[in-house]
Amino acid sequence: MTHSAEIITTGPSGTILADWIDRVGFGLIWALAAFALLLLIAPSLIVVMISFTETAYITFPPQGFTLKWYADLFSRQQIIDSAITSLRISVWSTAIALTLAVPAAFSLVRGRYPGKAFAGALIVAPQMIPGMVIGVALLFFGAYIAFRQSDLMLILGLTVFCLPFAVRLVMAQLQLLDPALEEASLSLGATRKRTFVQITLRQIIPAIVAGAAFVFIESFDNLTVALFTASPRGRPLSVELYNLVQYDSSPMVAALSSLEILFAFVIMLVLSRSVGLERLAK
Amino acid sequence: MAAAFWTRFRDGRGIWPAVPAFVFLTIFFIIPMAVLLSFGFTEIERGRIQDSGFTLRYLTGTLQDDLFWWVWWKSFYIGILSTLLCFLLAYPLAYLYSESGRTMRLLILVLTISPLLTSAIVRTYAWLVLLGGRRGVVNSTLIELGVISRPIRMLNTDFAVIVGMTQVHLPFMVLPLITVLAARDRNMEAASLGMGASRLATFFKIVLPLSTPGIVAGLTIVFALSYTNFIIPQLLGGGGFTTLAVQVYEQIVVVLNWSKGAMLALLLLGSCFVFILLIGLAGNRVMRWSQKEAA
Repeated sequence: MTHSAEIITTGPSGTILADWIDRVGFGLIWALAAFALLLLIAPSLIVVMISFTETAYITFPPQGFTLKWYADLFSRQQIIDSAITSLRISVWSTAIALTLAVPAAFSLVRGRYPGKAFAGALIVAPQMIPGMVIGVALLFFGAYIAFRQSDLMLILGLTVFCLPFAVRLVMAQLQLLDPALEEASLSLGATRKRTFVQITLRQIIPAIVAGAAFVFIESFDNLTVALFTASPRGRPLSVELYNLVQYDSSPMVAALSSLEILFAFVIMLVLSRSVGLERLAK
Repeated sequence: MAAAFWTRFRDGRGIWPAVPAFVFLTIFFIIPMAVLLSFGFTEIERGRIQDSGFTLRYLTGTLQDDLFWWVWWKSFYIGILSTLLCFLLAYPLAYLYSESGRTMRLLILVLTISPLLTSAIVRTYAWLVLLGGRRGVVNSTLIELGVISRPIRMLNTDFAVIVGMTQVHLPFMVLPLITVLAARDRNMEAASLGMGASRLATFFKIVLPLSTPGIVAGLTIVFALSYTNFIIPQLLGGGGFTTLAVQVYEQIVVVLNWSKGAMLALLLLGSCFVFILLIGLAGNRVMRWSQKEAA
């Protein structure tokens, strides 16, 4: 530090001006942080609040309190059907993605073979491609082999889209495992199979649960892949909601959205209980 | 033989356990991407490939189209602006996280991760309510406060699209920043403060440059998401609003001009990669510069 700099900033006590600038500067930083927090939560809160309004149009603040929009929601067969379609599709894509991801993660963490880095890059490559492009590519590919937009095409597209998340979650957990535990189990006379099931698999179950929760909710909510690959008949809930948001101004849409928000909270509880939110943040 | 194979598979030491995933991705990701690439250079009529073979018509036609460049500029500036706004809000929040105790940290994590698990339509829908028309919350509040006398048009503007994108993509910026800021080495800061630098100077000269990797990661993800998002422009920008990503959707789903749609998708993807690369290069520059500064 140069001598002149020491004169301008005179230690923690500081000059009055420097102190004042510090306070204003950090005041601004905390204010922006508070605004960011508000921005994260406010939209969801507002949607939930207006779902209880008694008016026939969306308004804020909501007027009165009623559950009639929820009743209205469950009386619409089309919405129920699309919710069931979405659930079925999400179960399938979750199952396929994890079946592929767990062994792949093992190979990418523990394998020793040439080209492993390339293999790893290939498996997480879909993450760099927007969902729209994955959907469009699959639609075009289907046109070649007379494979039309359908539940199956949507499931395949979602699996491609979500596979990298699942692989990376399981890989992260595998990298944390202590190899000494497995060696101890083997040297104490446990068979390889037993060691694998009781030591290795058991320790990565949290990551598998988190991966499943993540793939499931992403498949359920996804619109970018679904708009291009979903069957025009029997649309998933995300596409149905997309149309409703554009053309229906009744608070019923807010009620449906509120249920999705509730669903997201349930998934988050699962995630915080399995791998913990701190780990997930990475 | 089968048992030996099973053992190798189960141990996960070889390449075999990854093979099913490779085969799956090759068939349903690599080949479709190649088909997409080929469609940009082929005549397609309503899902039927014509026999005219390879054509550069769509590439040259698009690049010579003034409208394309106008649309591209719009996508670019919306993407950049909402990415910068995201950064401006996310950095203070991530910094607050790194300076907080357990409860506050948990609160920030819950509020950051829960929107990620909620569908983007639901969160965009909230903005329709907030910004929409005469009854929109923002307008009615401003009128009540006497700031404006008549409602201003907020929905179906660039402003609405930028605000919506900033809010929807905020968590993707916060998370990488939290990771670097919470794990940072605090010795340099203590040294800087001990030598008499102000807190603000320490923040800008030590904390900010040291978190460059997280900043680069956040900017990259959020720019890629904003630049390629076609849902938010369609919902908040209104009918006349268009970006490159919206054009891809319209050409493929509405106009059914697949060749043009494929070409636009390729240009969108290619330009997105170029910008991401530039962000990464700029990040490297900053890191080298700040290391030199520190030495």
